[in-house]
Amino acid sequence: MADADAGAGEYVIEIKDLVNTVGQGVILHKDLEFSVRRDEVMSLVGGSGSGKTQLLRVILGLKRPAAGQVRVFGVSWEDPSAKKVRDARRRMGMLFQGGALYSALSVYDNVAFPLRERGGLEEGEIRGIVHAKLAQVELEPSHGKLLPANLSGGMVKRVSLARALALSPDLLILDEPTAGLDPDRSEGFVRLIKRLREEHRFAVLLVTHDLDTLFELTDRVAVLADQHIIACDSLRAVRGMNHRFVQSFFGGERGRRALQHG
Amino acid sequence: MPSRDAALEIRTLAQDPVPIRVRASGEWTFRGLKERELELDRRLTELERQPPDRVAWDLTAVDELDDTGAVWLANALRNAQHIEIAPRHREILKQISQGLQVPAERERFDPFAGVVWTGNAAAGAVEHLRDGVGLLGQLTLDLAGALRRPREFPLREFSAGIYRAGVTALPVTMLVGFLVGIVLTYLSALQLKPYGADFLVIKIVGIGVLRELGPMLASIISAGRSGSAVTAQLGVMRVTEEIEALSVMGVSTTLRLVLPRVLALAVALPMVTFCTDIAALAGAMLVSNFTLDISPAAFMQALPREVDVVNFWIGIGKSAVFGFAVAFVACHYGLRVLPNTDSLATGVTRSVVASITGVIILDAAFAMLLRNVG
Repeated sequence: MADADAGAGEYVIEIKDLVNTVGQGVILHKDLEFSVRRDEVMSLVGGSGSGKTQLLRVILGLKRPAAGQVRVFGVSWEDPSAKKVRDARRRMGMLFQGGALYSALSVYDNVAFPLRERGGLEEGEIRGIVHAKLAQVELEPSHGKLLPANLSGGMVKRVSLARALALSPDLLILDEPTAGLDPDRSEGFVRLIKRLREEHRFAVLLVTHDLDTLFELTDRVAVLADQHIIACDSLRAVRGMNHRFVQSFFGGERGRRALQHG
Repeated sequence: MPSRDAALEIRTLAQDPVPIRVRASGEWTFRGLKERELELDRRLTELERQPPDRVAWDLTAVDELDDTGAVWLANALRNAQHIEIAPRHREILKQISQGLQVPAERERFDPFAGVVWTGNAAAGAVEHLRDGVGLLGQLTLDLAGALRRPREFPLREFSAGIYRAGVTALPVTMLVGFLVGIVLTYLSALQLKPYGADFLVIKIVGIGVLRELGPMLASIISAGRSGSAVTAQLGVMRVTEEIEALSVMGVSTTLRLVLPRVLALAVALPMVTFCTDIAALAGAMLVSNFTLDISPAAFMQALPREVDVVNFWIGIGKSAVFGFAVAFVACHYGLRVLPNTDSLATGVTRSVVASITGVIILDAAFAMLLRNVG
């Protein structure tokens, strides 16, 4: 089982010599190197416009880079074997910033969707998993009937998380998971992710501007600036860096406040 | 490397009060279960038939347990009394067991479903009508307001609407008009030639095209082209909350979005009809030249003699009304789209169907009203 062996390697995401362009050849990332270990929470931070979302799109295989290697679970998105690519895709879950729930499907059907698409399970079994996932994100079975349009922002995030977790992923990618949530809910969301990770050891790639979330969850921080990952290390090491963005990001008033709490 | 796929080991201890000992090992995951799916399923089903107090489960050798594995085990362990399990797998098994206990929603037979459906449909129709009348009223007020304060009239949207619904529609409507002109003339000529009533063809085609076909073709194509586009655009604006943003800024949605579109199509459609008429008559002229030996010059001379000019004006007048109707229906449906993709799709479909039907009904009404004219 070659793909299982590759997946059992040390890294879930490996990026080498990445060159990424936007529009008509404007270089966004150049010779970028980045990797995420299989049992860690990696946070990706960077100023607005530094290309965090574009990097995520490349990692997710939604965008083809201009040059360089991107491997997720040891599989390149360009791999000729469609099965390998599909298997790798099914091992990761994505929480989009806006939720990206299917607006025409109920909450229940949204969470059941990836399970039904993967096949191999009967409807009764799917029901068990869906309700377990809803319970994990602290939703009631009765919420299953609601349509996304009738959900609050926090509920959209939780349903989206339940959907991302439906296939028991080995890698969870979270794009601004606490954006738009009140501090209580953000705190709850962070606790939820922590608890889920204790139960099911998956890797997390977290993109966030929320320093509290960052301090609570992260093992390592990657800083995206000047077209590179300028640092990828523990929070303590990164905070000490002498770089304009790092200083203003962690050393600003909000950063200091979060540090006092964290 | 030993196989890590899910495995089940069953031993029977004859003298023991709990004689059946089951030991699960390996990866009880979606991938790990795949290899021996049928065998495991069969053995688990057999175990389910045993009295629960005679089976002891040992799950401590399970390396990995995911939701799929937990579903399989939870089903088998439903009534089990003797279970040993690694602490790290306890939580997931418990969650899945609880998930499986949630009863499925069943559609219950409701004897009054038909009545409820009819009631809802009637209420929906009334609401539709009320919204439609409301929109028409608001549009009239906005138009009156715009006439009093011409500076507020959204001129840019209006001219853009004329360009989009008029100029860009010309190639397709003129092509269709030309072809219909050819077909109509050819068929009429075939029927009328034996009777020597060649010039009657000009009358039939002239009246047919100018009074009926020109406006109908133009408005049906516009309903499919511009009507659907308007509904989709307003619908997406609803989905992305752009319409709400306009309202919050105190900008009237009808003045900014509906009025320019409705007026633009009401102005553009007569012009499109005019061009369609010309294309259809050109097609008719071409066929007359070859099949009936009526030269283009003779055709041109005969046309005003055979066809009263009022027919042309009726056609143009009708298309202004059709244009208004198509755009109005499209806007009405566009504003009713709910923020989900399904509603957008149904909205666009219904808008096109309703506007084409509406145009045909209006045409029938015009035919009755103007039966003594021209």
